[in-house]
Amino acid sequence: MTVGPLTVSDLVVEFIHDGYAIRPLDGLSFGAQAGELVVLLGPSGCGKTTLLSCLGGILTPTSGTIRLGDVEVTAMRGKQLDAFRRDDIGFVFQAFNLIPSLTARENIAVPLTLTGHSRKESFARADELLEQVGLGERAGHLPSRLSGGQMQRVAVARGLGHNPPLLLADEPTANLDHIQAEAIIRLLQSLRDEGRMIVVSTHDSRLVPIADRIVQMVPPDQHEERPTHDVTFGAGASIFEQGDPADVVYVIKSGSVDVIRVLADGGEELLTQLGPDQYFGELGPFLGFPRSASVRATSDVVLTVYSPRIFREKVLHKH
Amino acid sequence: MLLLTFRDLAYRKVRFIVVTILGAVVFALLFVMTGLVNQFNLEPAETVEQFGADEWVLPEGVSAPFTSVSVMPVAALDAVDAAAKSPVVITRSSVAQGDPPEEVVLIGFEADGLGAPQVVEGRVPAAEGEVALDRTLDVGVGSEVTVAGTPFTVVGLTEATTVLAGIPFAYLTLPEAQMLAFASTDVISSVLVAGDVGPLPAGLASLTSDDVVEQTLQPLEGAIASIDLVRALLWIVAAIIVGAVVYLSALDRQRDFAVLKAVGAPNSALLGSLALQAVLIALGAVAIAAIIQVFLAPQFPLPVTVPTSAFWQLPLLAVLMALAAGAVGMRKVLRSDPSQAFAGAGA
Repeated sequence: MTVGPLTVSDLVVEFIHDGYAIRPLDGLSFGAQAGELVVLLGPSGCGKTTLLSCLGGILTPTSGTIRLGDVEVTAMRGKQLDAFRRDDIGFVFQAFNLIPSLTARENIAVPLTLTGHSRKESFARADELLEQVGLGERAGHLPSRLSGGQMQRVAVARGLGHNPPLLLADEPTANLDHIQAEAIIRLLQSLRDEGRMIVVSTHDSRLVPIADRIVQMVPPDQHEERPTHDVTFGAGASIFEQGDPADVVYVIKSGSVDVIRVLADGGEELLTQLGPDQYFGELGPFLGFPRSASVRATSDVVLTVYSPRIFREKVLHKH
Repeated sequence: MLLLTFRDLAYRKVRFIVVTILGAVVFALLFVMTGLVNQFNLEPAETVEQFGADEWVLPEGVSAPFTSVSVMPVAALDAVDAAAKSPVVITRSSVAQGDPPEEVVLIGFEADGLGAPQVVEGRVPAAEGEVALDRTLDVGVGSEVTVAGTPFTVVGLTEATTVLAGIPFAYLTLPEAQMLAFASTDVISSVLVAGDVGPLPAGLASLTSDDVVEQTLQPLEGAIASIDLVRALLWIVAAIIVGAVVYLSALDRQRDFAVLKAVGAPNSALLGSLALQAVLIALGAVAIAAIIQVFLAPQFPLPVTVPTSAFWQLPLLAVLMALAAGAVGMRKVLRSDPSQAFAGAGA
């Protein structure tokens, strides 16, 4: 069950959605060691699950590399990836995703039998794992007769079926009350202590204290709050580009701008034109999202630049 | 794979039971339709065989003895140069026993000659006023009936003596049949010959028994083609039923398949699970259909003889059909994306 270090370098995932490209992951890099519990922290939609999919060999990134020990995951394809998932990765899904027609024991054993283990061996392993997660007496229950926490423990046990060195858990404490969440957190701790690398995506800060490494999927606002000031752009100049980090809000003092969506095929779609006293670029900094469109000056333009807080107090509240 | 398949069948048992029963009704109809077509094909062969003739001498231009009117002088018998030959009368008539009369084919035969009935109960008519009837008329030995309005006593019963989809035979002695059919003993319908018929005089022609069978089947060809079309439609209905439930199952289990794919389960195992469900539904439906047809077949006004081969051909075809019909669902499995396993609850 030993595993080499995990290295994620400059990872980019780009999807085409409704004709334009979005990048849930844009140049992400981090590393982790065996026996570490890595927490991917960030709000919904920031790319945590996308990253887990890439780490687990389910999704091929647009660019960048993922290495697990000597293995370059991002270079593998087809059956190699199937074998990688089968041998090296354990998955715990947010929605438990237990098969409703199978008992707890069968939910653990069936994936093993389907991946080449004997029936006897698979059920023995399932019994062992159910004992480990404290559900030995619930082995014969269907998922519909288990609580959320119990289902999640079965899901963890299923993820451990083939004793993988890397366990990927997507929001394992979501939808659980604090008692059930605590049981899952304890279980993850004990699995980490066995020397397993565990990568957990969450927006649950309760996991932070037990993490050995935290990957902030959305960088915390490290910008010093800049004073409000004016900037000038000549006609045709780019004020910001789609995908750029968002940290300030603009109010047009004079002149006009075009708000443009850059499409996947390289084309552009004009979303709106704005003039004096109108503002733009406010949602990105409020939500921690990158810019969702590009803005270009259509004439010489003077803009007042606000930090999000000051913009909210001075401009939004006035409106 | 087996456990996954059977557990899913048990989990969605109501759906699978309903679909299996629906499929069974369709397959039972297929059994019956197959039995009907089989009976149509068997009937003339079995009936013609009972005449014991190799050749049938008829007036030139008459297509066959059971499908057209055939009249020839009794003197034609002497013109046929064959060792074993017998005159027969074949004509349409009716038999009644109180109820409305039923259409029959009247056969006049010579005692101990070719064409004499092979009775399964009672005896062969030998005297005036005696008749032997096919069992399907449901008249017992000793009953009094009228043939073309003339009273007769039933002295014997025959089996497998019907033509044209169930028209039964009524056997009389030759002279009585001649009088009933032609009001004369100078004419007959045909001369039956065992062995080589030899050269025939002008105005006469011969048909082999195989020709007679073929010609007797000809009026039913339209009916057989229609039943074959209905059979084809029933296969399509069965395929739609099985295909739809397999597709629904694939849709319902899409997340399960995504999860199993994510943990490294090969496509073959998942496809196998779905294909096995399709095959089990089809075979279950055929098994139930084989029982239903036992009760359904007697309700048909026409005789239904399901061939033994249907009991292995139908399941085999049903399995192939189930696999073909389930292909759309299986394609869904092949295309299911393991990343769907990461979708949130209810997604």
